[in-house]
Amino acid sequence: MMVSRPRAAVNGMRASTLGFATVLLALLLGGDGMAAEITGKVVDPSGEPLAGAVVFVDTLPAGMTAPAPAERTAAMDQVQKQFVPHVLPVVAGTEVSFPNHDQIHHHVYSFSRTKTFELPLHKGENAQPVTFDQLGAAKIGCNIHDWMDAVIVVVPTPYYALTDDAGLFVLRDMPPGTYGVVGWHERQRTSQRQSVEVVDNTTPITLTIDVNPPRARVPARGGARSYE
Amino acid sequence: MKLGSVITIALTLVASLASAQSPYDEADERYEVEEKSRFSLRALVDLRVVQGSEVPSWQENGPGKIRYGGIADGAAFERVTRFAIAQLALQPAVEIGWGWRAEAQINWDGDLDEHGNTSPDHDPVRIIEGFVRRDWADAGGGWSAVIGLSNPPFSLEHTGPARTPVLSLTPSALTSWLWEEGRVLGAEGHWWHATPEGAELAAFAGAGWGPDQMGILLARRGWVLSDFLSGANSRLPVLDGNGFTEVFDERDGRPAVYAGASLADPWKIGSAHVGYFDNLGDLAVTGVWETRYGVAGLALTPVAGLDVTVQMLYGTTTTRGAALASTINAFYPIVSYRWREHRVSFRYDDFSVRDDDGGNATQEDGNAYTVAYLLEFWLRHRVAFEYVWVDSDRAAAGVPGDDGWQLSYRFRY
Repeated sequence: MMVSRPRAAVNGMRASTLGFATVLLALLLGGDGMAAEITGKVVDPSGEPLAGAVVFVDTLPAGMTAPAPAERTAAMDQVQKQFVPHVLPVVAGTEVSFPNHDQIHHHVYSFSRTKTFELPLHKGENAQPVTFDQLGAAKIGCNIHDWMDAVIVVVPTPYYALTDDAGLFVLRDMPPGTYGVVGWHERQRTSQRQSVEVVDNTTPITLTIDVNPPRARVPARGGARSYE
Repeated sequence: MKLGSVITIALTLVASLASAQSPYDEADERYEVEEKSRFSLRALVDLRVVQGSEVPSWQENGPGKIRYGGIADGAAFERVTRFAIAQLALQPAVEIGWGWRAEAQINWDGDLDEHGNTSPDHDPVRIIEGFVRRDWADAGGGWSAVIGLSNPPFSLEHTGPARTPVLSLTPSALTSWLWEEGRVLGAEGHWWHATPEGAELAAFAGAGWGPDQMGILLARRGWVLSDFLSGANSRLPVLDGNGFTEVFDERDGRPAVYAGASLADPWKIGSAHVGYFDNLGDLAVTGVWETRYGVAGLALTPVAGLDVTVQMLYGTTTTRGAALASTINAFYPIVSYRWREHRVSFRYDDFSVRDDDGGNATQEDGNAYTVAYLLEFWLRHRVAFEYVWVDSDRAAAGVPGDDGWQLSYRFRY
């Protein structure tokens, strides 16, 4: 079995040519049958796993167009005065709804360049969904509860994953070729990008992201002391 | 081909190659997330045009039951229109390390009537709250501790920003009183647990010093409806004798104790709340009031947009020497409907004080109706209109009844 290895430096032209040839080969051999995956781990410089990191493909092999994402909708819930999930990766063009399953009102907003919007005081599931069509990270907040925050990461292709508590991720159903893979974390000082050549089966990589130290979470929920 | 065109094409090609080699560089900035500051400052200002009752307000030692009243001209009363800064609130907060967070709220207000006169009753700057808090929690439940100056969290109305009512401008008589005299300097613990199905059970208990005169206002002045938030440094007027009472006045060295619990259903239709407070007042000490009460309430959202809140209070208060022992009662249902940015609310208040010494010194029986319209817009702005009508048999014979309207603009940051 041939296993590709990640390359830190990229020669764009060579990668493109190689990628194109690989994609062509894959198409000739039957496309889906060749789909592989990139698996890996996101760690900080000391080797500690990073949970809640987003790993996504930002460049596809030459000649390949991004497949349509399986999901065009996503939800960021409001439960116990917290956004759930705290980090939500979506493909550009995804409609995100903000159901509020608390018994109090929330006032969701974002001033980020990626998406500026607000959903005035609402409860239940009747707030209008918001379409995220610009790439980037949108910080989400609640105008009433300062401690509530979350990030929606808008990525360009449907190849993305969120790392688990062990920092692990899998990017599935990837035709062979050379991909630009980005590792992103909310606390990153600098993100990391690798060019990864996928031939078949599983391609393991490790992404190291230099992050700021975690901060103590602000009181988030509980009891009658919390105001609306 | 001209030289300029060649240069342009060459530059374009170079730019394209650079872009193709590192497309993420260009996007990098867009993926940056601003880190939240350890410090935060929230502010709220509420400006009003108000026409209150004919009689001077309780805030000016008058018999008026609502926050803004008229002026006395000899034996006659005159209804006046006021421009008021109903609330200017600042809420600084800072993360102080080890998961603790310090929070405070200070308020100031003032008003000017159509004759150019200001009310003399306002405190300079009031310290509403100031405490440190820490949570230990996960999605299934947790604990929290609050240490400092706070108000026992019994009110189901004062749950908005800067402790303002959410559904109306003026809170009920019941919760008006809770935020007048209830300040405690001490410690409070919370526990809560959420089931996998979504039900939530919560409980809290606390103890602290300060409310040794709690109860005096109901016995000597009676119930009022007011969104005035007293501070720990407030001196509130009592109706008889032009006297004042200190909100924070520890005399007997005994801490007040309180506890409460709530249960919310998994379908988020509603929650039930109960609470008990006892200031453990030592009647052997001059000026101490012994006050205890229980509260129970429901906060329901039976359908989207419809809020129904019901709360009742029952308690007793007494002091040494004067025949002012009283049983206190208050109850209110409020129904509110929100459609998009619009909200309409209607509340009925029922309140009473029974003089347990057999006299008529503290006796009161009254009710009130409140209707409010609130419009939220542009994230931080709100305009609201409210009309309140109060009837109480405590007011001296011949004193006109209380009613008044308010037009409010609120900005919060």
